Parts: sequence; C-alpha cells; structure tokens
Amino acid sequence: MSDQNARGGRDGRGTRLVTPGASLGASEGRRIGHGVVENEGQLIAVKLGALIENEEEVSVIPSHTRYTPRPGDLVIGVVEAVQSNLWFLDINAPFNALLPMSLGPGKAEFGGARNVLNVGNTVLCRIQEVDETHSSVVTMKGLGLRRIDSGIVEAIPPHLMQSLFSDSNVLKSLKSSTDCRIILADNGRMWVDGDSKSMSNVISKLEQIRAMSRDFSSLESMVEILQTEVY
Amino acid sequence: MATPPVPELLKTHLTKLAESDERLDGRGRFEGRDVIVETGVLARAEGSARVQMGDTIVLAGVKFQIMTPYPDRPTSGGFMTSAEVRPVCGVHWEAGPPSPEAIELGRVVDRGIRESGCIDMEDLCILPGEKAWQVILDVFALSDDGNLFDAFATAAMAALRTAIIPGERFDVGEDRPLPVSKTPMMCSYHRVGGRFVYDALRREEIGGGERIHITLGDDNHVHSLQKGLKGAFTAAEFDEIMEHARSRCAELRDLVNN
Amino acid sequence: MGGYGDVQMIDENGIRVDGRTAGEIRPVSINAGIIPVADGSAEVIWGTNHVIAAVYGPMEAHPRKIQKQDRAVLDVRYNMAPFSTTDRIRPGFNRRSREISKVTAEALESVVLTELYPRSKIRVEIEVITAEAGTRCAGITAASVALADAGIPMTDMVISVASGKINGVVVCDLNKEEDNYGEADLPMGVCANSGELVFLQMDGDLSPEEFQIAWDYNMEAIAPVHEMMIDALKRSNGGDE
Repeated sequence: MSDQNARGGRDGRGTRLVTPGASLGASEGRRIGHGVVENEGQLIAVKLGALIENEEEVSVIPSHTRYTPRPGDLVIGVVEAVQSNLWFLDINAPFNALLPMSLGPGKAEFGGARNVLNVGNTVLCRIQEVDETHSSVVTMKGLGLRRIDSGIVEAIPPHLMQSLFSDSNVLKSLKSSTDCRIILADNGRMWVDGDSKSMSNVISKLEQIRAMSRDFSSLESMVEILQTEVY
Repeated sequence: MATPPVPELLKTHLTKLAESDERLDGRGRFEGRDVIVETGVLARAEGSARVQMGDTIVLAGVKFQIMTPYPDRPTSGGFMTSAEVRPVCGVHWEAGPPSPEAIELGRVVDRGIRESGCIDMEDLCILPGEKAWQVILDVFALSDDGNLFDAFATAAMAALRTAIIPGERFDVGEDRPLPVSKTPMMCSYHRVGGRFVYDALRREEIGGGERIHITLGDDNHVHSLQKGLKGAFTAAEFDEIMEHARSRCAELRDLVNN
Repeated sequence: MGGYGDVQMIDENGIRVDGRTAGEIRPVSINAGIIPVADGSAEVIWGTNHVIAAVYGPMEAHPRKIQKQDRAVLDVRYNMAPFSTTDRIRPGFNRRSREISKVTAEALESVVLTELYPRSKIRVEIEVITAEAGTRCAGITAASVALADAGIPMTDMVISVASGKINGVVVCDLNKEEDNYGEADLPMGVCANSGELVFLQMDGDLSPEEFQIAWDYNMEAIAPVHEMMIDALKRSNGGDE
C-alpha cells in the first residue's frame, strides 16, 4: 500500500470522510485501492480520509500521509551523514536513503566523500531501488540531478502534491505569477528559487495551503491560491 | 543522527532574507507573533495559564507545598521553577531525563521571576522557623515552533498572577491570592542571517546563531540576562536589542496584567 | 481499592454523587489536530480528566537495537504532568507510568498495521494535563484519535472505559470521589467496529454477576464515544457530515 496510489478527482466535494475501522460493505469483486483492506469479503477503511467508491474500485484519499519511496521518484534529500564511500540522505521518508559513491555527483579519493557532498547539503536525486523494508538507494546520475546551492526547500503534504499539480498549468501559472524557478519532488518537497520577494510570495502561498491541507473539500481553493496573481 | 543537520540552504536563505530585512513568515525584524494568554486553564493547579504564539503553545501551573524554612532564613518561603519539555511538543525533543536545553529554560525563567522580587518570600511564612509556603511553578511545552523561553515566561507570570494559596486544604488559614507585586517579562532575540531578530520561529532558531534573553521588571530594571549558544555580539547590537526589549516588555506586561 | 462501606455514595434511587445513574459515563468531549507541530494529535476531556496525545512518525527507529525487522515499533509514553493532580507529581521515572505505557502500546499494536513500516518507529506521546480518575482509559482513546489524525493505517479505533463498584453497587466510569471509595475497577479497551478487546485490567472484588454487569456497562459506552471520535476527526479534517 503506497501513499502515492492515492489519487482521486480534483473535486473532493460529495465524497464521504471515513475513519479507520469503518465498514465499507462487501467487496463484490471491486479493486481494493489505497487505505482499504478486505477481511472475509468485507471491506474496511484503514485510513482517515475521503472515500472514493465506484463500480471498479474502493479507495481512501488520506487526509495525512508520510512519503513512501518508489523507484523512479524524483526526490529532494538532505545529507545527514557521510561515510568513506557513501552518504545517508534524509528524504522525508521513515528511513534515510543511501547514496553510494558510485552513484554520487563526482569522484572522490577514498575518504574524501565530504569534499563532494557534506552534511547539510541539499541534493536533487532519483530513487534507484527500494527493498521490501522500504530502505532505498538513490542516484544522482541522470539529467538535471545535482547538488542544490541556492533557493529554499519547502514542504507540502506528499498526497497533495499530485492532486494539486495534476494539471500542469497549475505549476506553470505558479511559476509565472511569482517569477520563481520551482521543482516539484515526489517526496513532499518543493525547491523554490528567485529573488527574496518572489520566494516570499511562494512561501506564503504554501503556508496557506498547509493550513488547509487537512480539508479534502478545499482542493479547488488550494489550486486557486497557487494560481492567483501576486502584485 | 539524533540531531538532524541544519540544511545549508536554510542558512543561505535566512542570510539572503536578512539582506533585504525580511523574515521567513513576513514579519519585521522586531515584530512578535500575536500572543494569546488564557488563565484558569488547569483544574488541579492553584494558578494556571496557556500561552499561544503562532504554533508555539505552552502551559504553566502553580502548585503549593508546605516546607520547613531554611535555617538561615527562618521567616522565608520558597520558590521553585521546573520546565518540562517533553517529546509531545515536537519531533526534535527526545524522551529521557531533562536535556541541558530544558534545564536552561527552567532556570532562566526562574531567575527573572525570583530576582525581580515580585513574590514576597516573607509573606509566605506561616510559622517562623517551622512552616512556610513553597511556590512551585511548572512550565510545560505542548507545541514548539520556536521561542519557548518567552512563551514560558509569559505563561509563568500569568499563572502566578492568578494563583490562590490553598490555606484551607492545608489547614493553615484561609485561601488567599498569592501576592505578586511586579510583572517581570522576558524578551528573546536570536541571531538570524547575521542580525538579531525578536521572537524567532523554530526554523530561524535552527538556522540561526546565538540567542540573548532579557528579563525586565516594571521599572525597566534588568533582572536576568542569558546568552546562549555559540557566537559573539557587539555592545551596539546589545543596545539595540535592549531598547526594543524595554518597549516590548511593557506591551507584554499590559497583556498579562489584564 | 479502599472499600469504605460506611460512606454512602449512591442514594436510594440509585443516583450517584454527581447525579449520574449507574450505567452513565461522565460528559465527554474530543478534539483532533490540537498540536500544530505534530503529525497527528487529539485531546479527550472526560469529566475533569484532560488528556492530550500527539503522534510523530513513522520515522527511523534509533537506537538500531529497538528496530523490529518485520514491523514498526509503537513507542508509547504515558505521563502525568506535575500540575495534573491535587498533590504535585515530581517529574521523572515512575513505575505506574511505565506499566500504563506498556499496556497502551500493546493495545494499540493490535489495531495499527505496523507491518507496513518495518524497522521504523511511531511515537505516541500521551500527556495527562488534568487527572480525575480513569486517565489510562482517556489516554488510550486520545491516542487512537491522534493515530487516525496522523494518517497511520489501522484496522479499528480503540475506545477505553472502566466500570467499578461502590457501596456494593456496580457503576460505570467512576469519578475521583467514587474511585476513592471504589471496591473494584475494570478498565477495558474495545475495538469500535469489531467489538474485540485489546486492553483489559481489573483489580478489586466482583462476583460473577457483578462482573457481567460491569462488562456490559463498558460495552454499552463504546458506541457513543466512538461517535464523538469520528465527529472530532471530521471537524478537524474538513468532513461536513
């Protein structure tokens, strides 16, 4: 059950909020989506969120999630520790990710890992693999993957990232209305760079969205906030 | 890896903001968050308060015990402060015995109140040499988004100002309000992006440098100072902070007294 | 348990000192999302009890030796704030708190899908701000709401209630005054939907008949409290039902 499977209509209105343990009726052969388990033919919600129910699938859009890494995800990580031939990255998941020297941004002499990436550095990387205990290995080999030296990293609840930006125009108008460079990462982080006034505009928009983030019926107003022109 | 590293980007960004005299949440350099004070919030405490400043929320509770006065001061009662910063209030606070940070918090709050002389220790005497009241102030953090120092100090004074000495329960006379003659107030400043700001957010604290805590009494007398964390500051910087503290402490005092 | 039979706590009409009938619980109110910096949080105000729970995680479990290879560790701490009782509680290690933390963790482990987060840790912090009687029950209930609020997957929510005996009469949800003269105490933790028990303690003296009445009182209290938990989560998560 990955948090990223949680998708639904942009409009949360008309949906029902369910709590863990809520009985959702018989499965009747429908696909069991995010936040739902089956017990002897009966479906039970296991997460707090909005119930999405149709002929094919039953799932819950969670109100709150933690990022779960999946191979191929673009993530923003912060170096937490350095060893002679690998780095440990905080990627906003329950576990630190490993970045081996061979997948790092550059070659270093043995023991010189610190000169390439040091504790506190921020990097844009991709999830290479995830094992069954959610431990992940990340890579910096790939187009655009690099150390980030300017701008700021902001947080957005991971499950909102996809619903808010499912329409690519939302990000486009956010960038143009604030005059900032922005990269959305899959792990609930967003890189924002521009002059300090522009960055403050994005930060204050995100602040408003975080305050509303638990209200699944407010998705449209959140999108509106992101797209509103700033003067 | 218990303490997460300070992301370099945050430090860089704070410095950049400082260049145009801005802050993360759009506040001015010496602008505080709105302070909400409620009293009488704890049913089992003889005096209590809840203070909220943005996402920082703290409680303060006053309890009384009967103590034997110290031999060198047979007609004096006692006053004690204990700060509880338990892991409930933030992911970065860990379980276990009180951390040096929590102990510092309690002691700095204690000093400001004690040294202002706002509580008349002689008034706490019940029977000279034998019985006196001990006032115990417990400050407790519920949610830490920065500047626990000022939140604690404000809640502490609001709780003390509403405290009732429980004479009847201890069978030593009638219940009466704890006499509190002054309202010492604390203002805290953190070095963020090179300059000092008032009422720092948690993110400003972790990306910032040294901090200075000033407690002033009613008449602007200084009652306690504390410089914390690594860093050095100039006399001119201190003058600027002190000037702001004088006006801000007066505002906070009005808030607590009413 | 004291057992002072000479103090009359129930009148001839079966009405208790605070006006409740034998099977009635104290007034309860529940709120979710009360600690802004936590992943999930809740407060339960149950009579004069005021209990707060915060949830953080799942996160990497440190030190490594506490990690479980096949599931997450529920790191539960129950604590009474120093100002929560009439006589101040000195902060620090406390055997009672340790035991309550342990049984609470085990109750919640029975419903949380810990196997989805191997080697990680979910922190559950329960703080008693004001204590009357029945803080452990209020703590388990608050923790359930906070876990749901944090988006932690769980098969059910746990509600905890205690019944006991005063003056030889079985009553539900003893208040502090009654508890002082209580002759028995039976706290239970029940899953709201399945009706299964995940927490059970008892001390005192109950006949088989009395035990059955106490058991039934607890079971009857589950549904109304469950409704309040759902309502609290809906209020803080934008549900409008």
